[in-house]
Amino acid sequence: MPKLVVYYVKYVDSISTKLGRATMYTIFIMIGVLLLGAITRNILNMPLSWTVEMAQFIITGYYIVGGAYSMQLEDHVRMDLLYDRFSGKTKAKIDVVTNIFLVLYLVALLIGSISSTMYAIEYGERKFSQWNPSMIPIKLIMVAGIFLMLLQAVSTFFKDLAKARGITIS
Amino acid sequence: MSYEAIALTMSGGMLVMLLTGQRIFAAIGFVSAAAALGLYGTGAIEMPFNAAFKLFNWYPMLTLPLFIYMGYILSESGIADDLYGMFHVWFGNLKGGLAIGTIGLMVVISAMNGLSVAGMAIGATIALPEMLRRNYDKVMITGVVQAGSSLGILVPPSVVLVLYGMIARQPVGRLWLAGVVPGLMMAGLFIVYIVIRCKLQPELAPTVSKEELDMPFKEKLKLLKAGIVPFLIFFFMTGLFIMGVTSLVESSAVGATAATIAALAKGTMTRKVMEEAIRKTLGISCMFMWIILAALCFGAVFDGLGAVRAIEALFITKWELTPWQVLIMMQLSYIVMGMFLDDTAMLVIVAPLYVPLVITLGFNPIWYGILYTITCQIAYMTPPFGYNLFLMRAMAPPEITLTDIYRSIIPFVLVMTFALILIIIFPQIALWLPDLFYNRG
Repeated sequence: MPKLVVYYVKYVDSISTKLGRATMYTIFIMIGVLLLGAITRNILNMPLSWTVEMAQFIITGYYIVGGAYSMQLEDHVRMDLLYDRFSGKTKAKIDVVTNIFLVLYLVALLIGSISSTMYAIEYGERKFSQWNPSMIPIKLIMVAGIFLMLLQAVSTFFKDLAKARGITIS
Repeated sequence: MSYEAIALTMSGGMLVMLLTGQRIFAAIGFVSAAAALGLYGTGAIEMPFNAAFKLFNWYPMLTLPLFIYMGYILSESGIADDLYGMFHVWFGNLKGGLAIGTIGLMVVISAMNGLSVAGMAIGATIALPEMLRRNYDKVMITGVVQAGSSLGILVPPSVVLVLYGMIARQPVGRLWLAGVVPGLMMAGLFIVYIVIRCKLQPELAPTVSKEELDMPFKEKLKLLKAGIVPFLIFFFMTGLFIMGVTSLVESSAVGATAATIAALAKGTMTRKVMEEAIRKTLGISCMFMWIILAALCFGAVFDGLGAVRAIEALFITKWELTPWQVLIMMQLSYIVMGMFLDDTAMLVIVAPLYVPLVITLGFNPIWYGILYTITCQIAYMTPPFGYNLFLMRAMAPPEITLTDIYRSIIPFVLVMTFALILIIIFPQIALWLPDLFYNRG
């Protein structure tokens, strides 16, 4: 494989891993925020209006940004009725072809997310609620997460291509 | 193209994509994005993201990662081992007692978790090896673990009922309460089946030797201590939610905290165990969430075609079915679709099509939620798709083959179908408890 491809795979995989490992800890922040809401309302008798919405922002970042890492770890299930019967090399060959569909889907998602973010920036979109937070940060995070997922999908494509030709890069 | 032709093309395209073994979310996402572009032109390029963004507004889904996290904490901290020990000793001397005890264990786990993944992990790694060592029939006990863990989505808390509640716009508290009696009834039916089967074929479940279970009564009582933790977790999580103290999403955070404290108190929670638990939580959560967000796009395309009205017209105007025939057709169609579609995706795509029709026909949406959940339980257990099958293969001891797993579910699926029929005939089984709780005074 060309050196550039090897670099790309190495670099993207390492970014996905680092961001994914950081993201997996945000589940504790989410738990903390929700607990804070339950405690302040029931025990201190001063309800906070923003806790659930905050948790909503965190979870969205959690699965969008964590997506690339989960794909790298092969956590996404496949229907393995036929797939499981093939050898590793054949699997890689099939994946090279079908990964193109994965990439196309992610490109569509990315285009949609960018246009939705542009809209949010242009009109200063806010969430309609008591807290009334700006929607721009979460949309930017989603664009970044989907873009990372796309980079990871391309990296997976290269890895499968290499595997189909009998070499390993990672 | 007619509705039918478009729907068939989309479903067929998806089936082909899925058969290639590509990740399920990618297969569904690509087919729906392609269909959107084909049907509505380039303007539809934003549809996949707009559909995905719907998941942002479905904030009750943030219970999902929290339940997954809890499940891993319970299984990896040794809390579940203690529970198994309790059931083992107390039920061990009955005929088929370890299998009965495993169902009991599964009910307790189900009351602490809203998914079947936790029960499956605990059943496959703790109960199965113990029963295999005592020469229990492997096909029977594999079925016991699969069926028992499927109670996770029927006994409250339940993520499937949360998802249903969002789609059908029904209160989750009522839905959860409606699942209690059917869940316990189904567990009872499993036990009846085990008892009868072991009476007829005693060789399936050799009695555990007296010496092994022999211990002073005081020791036996001490084992019951293992039951305290689950009770407390259930109270703080589901109890406080039903009483209206915590909101739904807060209750799952309370549950996750309670489980973490229990694990820390046990002293088995090392940094490594914790890191492994949250890593797996991220992986499984992302898997489910990406399937849901791809399926939402598929659903949006179907919705744009006016599929709800098309189905209504087909069932009521064209075939002139009575409401009950429509209901039965729906349940049967789940089974057929379950063969072509991933189960989680099916939840997201099919429920919005059927629920409005169910309500128009005058059926109770809470009751239908329970029927829907049991259908999901069956779908998750039956091939070719089924997370329970998938997880079982990954977690079960190596001597259990794929054929064993497929064969093992047959009697339990029949029992579940029987339970489903009972609840269709006697809706009060589901509705009695929520009516009692919410209508008093």
